[in-house]
Order: sequence, then C-alpha cells, then structure tokens
Amino acid sequence: MNSSKIIGAIEIGTSKVVVLVGESAAHGKLRIIGKGECASAGVAKGEITDFKLASECVHRAIVEAEQMANAKIEHVFIAQTGKHLESFYNQSTVTVMSSDNIVRRTDVERAEKDAKSKELPQNRLYIHHIRNPFLLDDRVVLGPVGMGGKKLQVGYWCVTGDKNKIRDHVGIIGGFGMRVDDMIISSLASGVMVASADEKKSGVIVLDIGSGTTDYAVYRDGFVVYCGVVPVGGDHLTNDLSLGLRINRKNAESLKVELDKAFIDKSEAENRIWMIGDKGIGERNIPVQSIVKIINARMEELFNIVLKQVNVHVPVRELSAGAILTGGSSRLYGIEQSAADVFGIEVRRGQHPEWISKDIEGPEYSTALGLFHYALTAQESNSERDDGAQKQKSAGFIKKILNFKL
Amino acid sequence: MENENFSQPNTYFASDIAGEDVRVKIIGVGGAGTNAVDRFHFDVIPGVRLAAINTDAQALASSLLEEKVMIGRGVTRGLSTGGEADLGRKAALSDRDKITHVIGSANLVFLVAGLGGGTGSGALPVIAEIAAERGAQVIAFVALPFTMEGNRRRQQADDALRELRQVCDAVIPIPNDVLLQDVADNATVLDAFAKVDSWISQGIRSICTMLFNTGMINIDFSTLKQAFISRGGKTLFGLGKGTGEDYAKNALKDLFMCPLLHLPESATCADRLLVNIIGGTDLSLAQVNEIMEMITEKFNSSDSTVIGAVVDERLNQTLEICVIGTTDIGGHKRAVRPNPPSVKPRIEVVGEEFGSNTGEPEKQTEVAKPQEWIPGLEKAGEKGAKPPSSVSVHASKLAHASKTGGIPQNEFSFVQKEEQRGFFDKTERNLFEGQDLDVPTYLRRGIKITL
Repeated sequence: MNSSKIIGAIEIGTSKVVVLVGESAAHGKLRIIGKGECASAGVAKGEITDFKLASECVHRAIVEAEQMANAKIEHVFIAQTGKHLESFYNQSTVTVMSSDNIVRRTDVERAEKDAKSKELPQNRLYIHHIRNPFLLDDRVVLGPVGMGGKKLQVGYWCVTGDKNKIRDHVGIIGGFGMRVDDMIISSLASGVMVASADEKKSGVIVLDIGSGTTDYAVYRDGFVVYCGVVPVGGDHLTNDLSLGLRINRKNAESLKVELDKAFIDKSEAENRIWMIGDKGIGERNIPVQSIVKIINARMEELFNIVLKQVNVHVPVRELSAGAILTGGSSRLYGIEQSAADVFGIEVRRGQHPEWISKDIEGPEYSTALGLFHYALTAQESNSERDDGAQKQKSAGFIKKILNFKL
Repeated sequence: MENENFSQPNTYFASDIAGEDVRVKIIGVGGAGTNAVDRFHFDVIPGVRLAAINTDAQALASSLLEEKVMIGRGVTRGLSTGGEADLGRKAALSDRDKITHVIGSANLVFLVAGLGGGTGSGALPVIAEIAAERGAQVIAFVALPFTMEGNRRRQQADDALRELRQVCDAVIPIPNDVLLQDVADNATVLDAFAKVDSWISQGIRSICTMLFNTGMINIDFSTLKQAFISRGGKTLFGLGKGTGEDYAKNALKDLFMCPLLHLPESATCADRLLVNIIGGTDLSLAQVNEIMEMITEKFNSSDSTVIGAVVDERLNQTLEICVIGTTDIGGHKRAVRPNPPSVKPRIEVVGEEFGSNTGEPEKQTEVAKPQEWIPGLEKAGEKGAKPPSSVSVHASKLAHASKTGGIPQNEFSFVQKEEQRGFFDKTERNLFEGQDLDVPTYLRRGIKITL
C-alpha cells in the first residue's frame, strides 16, 4: 500500500474545531497540506451538547481544510475527550502450555485475548487497549515468545467511553458522508507529540490543558501506564475570573490571555491594572493580587486533582522526566510554576518537532498533530509501537459504532 | 393569566388595600431560618407576621418570635433532626395541621431557611407545598451550606433546592460560600451569618415595602404574582445601596458589584424583573429613569421590568435598590429582541401618579409610546402593557401595546447566550470528591478576592 493517502485529523474541541489534512507517502512519511479551523459552538467540556451547531462548525472547518489542501479527505481520525472516558487496568495470567516451558505465540495470544475481553456495561465501549509489558514469572519482558517460563501475565490499560457520546463524535463526521477510521483519546494523541521516547522510558506525565478539559497520560518504561480526563480547563478559568472580578466573560477572557509577566512583576505590592468595566458603568481597576489568587486557586486545584488520580497508580514523584504541559491553556502565564509546586517534579512546556510549520506549532495543535501519528501507525502493519499503545483493529471499532444506526 | 384586579380600589391608600388583600407571613424554618427571622425586626410593617417552625424545642424556646410551632414531636421528641433530612420531612408530614394553621390565610408566604440541615432540607419543601396548596404565593430564601461543610449537607441542600423549585413561585438561594467573599477578614461567624440575614431581610422588606408603602410607583400584589409566574427557573437577586453626592450612581455600582449577582448558579439575565428603589425625598424622577435604564440594559429585561419606587422620608442622599428576577426554564426567548430603553414616557406618567394614585387614563398615554418596562410580565404579544403603577390592564390597551411595543429595534448588541444562563449551565455537574468543579475554586475554598 504505497500510494499516497489523504488523511484528515479532526479534533472537535471545546473552543475550536481543528482539521488538519495530511498526505501520507511511503515509509511512514506525512506532509501536512491543509488546515481548517472554526470556533466551536455546541461543545462544552469536550462533549457535544448541541449536535447541529457542532456539526456546522466541523463542516466549516473541514471545507476550509480541504480547500487549502486542494484534496478530499479519505481517512478520518478523530480525537475524543470528556468526563465520560474511563480507564481501568485489566490483567490476565496464563500458564505456559508447552511441556518445555517455552512461551509460544499461542500463549501470548491467549493472555492478550483474556486481558482484553472484559465485558463492559451496556452503554460503554472500548476505545483503546494499551498493552503494558509482559511479565514472565514476574519478570518484565518485552517479547516473551521463545523465552522460558511457567506463568505469563499481561495487562492492558483499557480506555472506555460512553457509547452515546462516542456516537456523537462519529456521527458528526458521518454526517458529511465521511467514515471515521479510528478514534484516539486526546491525551494519547498529545502525548506522542510532545514526549520523547527517552522521556517515556524514564517516566513522564503529559498534560494537555484545553478549554474544556485537561487530558493527561502517564508513561513509564516506555508504556502508557495511566491516562485520564479532568473536565476542567481554560473555560473554567475565564468563568472564575468573570465571577470573581465581576466582569463580563469577554473581559475575563482577554484578561486571561493577556496576563503576562508585565502584569505580575509590576504587581508585587498592591498594584492595580486597568480594565474596561461593565457597560455603562465605566472603567474599573482590579488588583493584580486578586487575579493571581483566582488563577492560582484554580490551577492548583486542577493539578492536585490530577496528582490524586495519578498517585493511586503511579507515584508522580517517581516520574523522573517530569511533566510536560501542552494544549491551548498551557500558554497561561506562570502555569509551569504552579504545576511544579503541586507535582514536585520538573515541569516544562511541550514543544513540537521542528518540521512542523509555524501556523500549527502552538500547543493547541498537539492533539490534532498526534492523530497523524496514529494514522500512520494504523497504516503500517500491525507492528507494535514503541509506546505500546496498540489499537484494537479499527474496522472492529467502527463496526461497533455503525451498528448503532446513526 | 388575566389579572385579578386586586388593586382596583386604588383610590384608597395602598396600606388599606394591603390590609384587605395581602396577608404576608414570614416563616423561619429550622435553626438557621428561625435565627434569621428572629433578627428581622419586621414589626414596623403592619400586616406582616412572623413565625418560626422547628423540630428543636430548645431552639424554639430561645426565639423571640411570638408564633412558634414545634413539629414532629412524635418523630424527634422535641430534639433536633441531627441533620437528617428524612427526619425533617417526616416531622413536617406528621404535623401538616400545625403547618396549615401557621400559614393560615396568608396569601404571600416567605420561607426562610438554611438548607443542608435536617429541618431546613427536609421540612421546608413540605411546608412550601402546603402553602402553595393553600393558594399562597410562596417565595423561599434559602442559604446553601458552605462547601467545607461536606458532601452530605450539600447533597441534602441540592435535593431540597430541586424540590423547592417545583413548589415555590420563586426560590432565591444564597450560598454561604459567598459570605467569605463579602465580610472582612476578621469577621466572626456571627457577623457572617448576620450578613446573610440582612440580605434576606432586605429582599423581603423590599418586596413588602413595594406592596404596602405608598410610593412614587407602587407595585400591587397581582403584579408581584405575575413576576413569579413561571416556576422552576433560575432567579437573580441583588441589592445595592448608595450614599453621598452621587448616590444614584453609587447605588447602581454597588448593585452591579453585588456578590449575589455573580454566583455561578444565578441567572445574569431576567425574563421578568422586579426592581424596587427606596430613596429619600430628594429622589428625582430623572434619577429613577436613569436607574431603570441601566438596570434593564444590564439584565436584558427591557420589556418585562416592573418597577416600584418608594420614598422613605428618613433617607437623605441615600438610595437602595433591590432587584429580583426570574427566568423561564430552559428557553432563551428573547435573544434577538432587545429594546433600547426609552426614557421619556415615564416622567409624565409617574408625575401624575405621584399625586393621584394612578388611574386608568395615564396608562393610555403610556401605552401609546414606545416602552421598555411597561409591557407586561407575560410573554409579549398575548398581553402587553403593564403600567408602572401596575393596575390591571384592559384588553383594549393590550392591542395598543403590541402594536407600539413591537417596533423592531436592532441597534443593541445582545448578550451572548452563555452570559445569560451561566456558562456551564447545560452541562452535567462536574463533581470530584463531592465538589462541583464548575464552581470557582476561590469561592469553594473561601479565598477572599478584593476588588
């Protein structure tokens, strides 16, 4: 399959819809040839609240991207986020069958199948099965076939989502006569863009802080060991500022965006910054201290929630490569510091590889870019990826969705 | 929907009418509610009666109120409910007769309680229901527990709030969290609770004053009823006070900065808005006009604002504003038709009214002009004009109203949808360890924000 393919990476975000069009060539190379963007409507906290409105936005973005690329999207990969995503770890143990205690292919398959086939409640659906390393007689091994041992264990991080909410996403794309090849959760998509293989080996947490949600993935020994979603993002910050400072949302939003060193440095004492007040009431100035307090409280809480959730599975302090922040809200001034204060590890902002062009290098594009990685992976054979995120066969996934009758 | 012409005999003093028609009862329920009502000192307004209902005999005994009713003797044996809403509910159900008796013939019942505890959360919905069954207009002021009080109390409060919204004409929730924003750092607990009490009492007093006091612009009972015609929607409630030379402006500023108007759960736009202004003898009509203009613009309620203005001779260079608004459930029906407030008509109308307790003729002049606050509280079209003095309106005039009031005016930028209904309104609640993450962190943690 060497002919080039046109791949569309679509992220239906809370603040905007991003559509990137890439042309894949042989040898897993990809060229990004189109971009479409549209401010979202009908999406809140990563979930679709108004199907029609959201559809219109997505459509506009797709049209724009296709026009720029001058090509029709053939394969669609979409990102998924939202509070409804849940993940659990499921492990299975099999006894090595052969009398010589050498692990055979069939043993591995049996273990994998067991670990993946946990039944889900009626309204849930698997999105990812992320394999963790094999344990052969409690020894960590990467490829157990051919090795000697009695007991083979394998565990998967299984990410599941609400059927209806997944269907919303797939349905929007389907509404334009397009077929969704696969769905990838946002945290994993962002993770592949900003964390290096080395960092994933030493242990790293990637946080994609968007407008409506914060998606995070934890890697250790090169594997995804945990991922999750906190339905708190930049919108909450805007809302907090608007309520706390009693200003309207528009002012709160611009305050948040413009917040930078200049404000904070001048502010050490009781500094006040100028602000356009509510209409008709004239201007008002607001103490910088109050702005900082509101933001710090929200950010600290957000990071603490992540910390609490992750610590149950992996002690955050043991992630020696630290934390990487990406997503639109990671532009917020001073955010690394507040993350570092909570996590107690080094925190940096994520950087995209240099080959990515200027107009899509911002942190808000991590997820959409990451989708291409998965698109390419899917295109290659079923070989395992370095991060161990093995997708369930896309056909099966989509078939399940389509069976609902959109 | 038709007005009941309560105020027809308007040639008398308003208080006379009140004596006949409006019988107000303010009932404190549970510990917090009783304490609050205790501190009201409402005796100054004739025709308003206070009562307390509680399960805790000891707490009741210490209340200064005359009418005190203990419920649920068989359930709690005169003790408190210990925070169990179920017990509170059982107590109320077991003493329906007593409650009915307390409500008596009152046709406007204010219920005051702190939700989260047993009696407040459990008994209050039952009491509200009984009052509503008896045909009374029921307005509940409820304090919501601090976030730090924990999940259980919050859950109980939430449940109670939901039930109340079904049976009350208006429910005005006041989250205690907001107290931490509004009191001085060294304030005591008592100071803080006194603040809630004063908010509630100002709200109630404001409504009562509108009904009973003769003022520049009076509001009668049927107008009030109309203002709370749709149940279950969100409410907004705000108070402002201004003194000094620029008292009108200051009062407006204070109102717009009122913490109660900046709560995650309060509405920022009203489908129906009740505004009451209490000023000194120096209050001019131009000022009233200016104030109304600003308020209708702020709450985007230009065609459904009812105003009451009262002159309190004791006040000088002081102005108090109280706004109470309700919204229709779910819908945002007036996203596209804001009317710029027009100022002129009111001056003459009010002027005439001031002398002569409002008759029909004034309305005629008024209806014929473009209006912003005159049209009725009900959905425009079917029934339009409601004069400021809010005497009932005749159908003949309604035709007028819909003609003149319907002039499309588009110059106004309309408020964005999310600003109307609170940003996370349509989404599921965002709970983590019992806290609603959509509510600002600083508010839940009581971090004080200076403005």
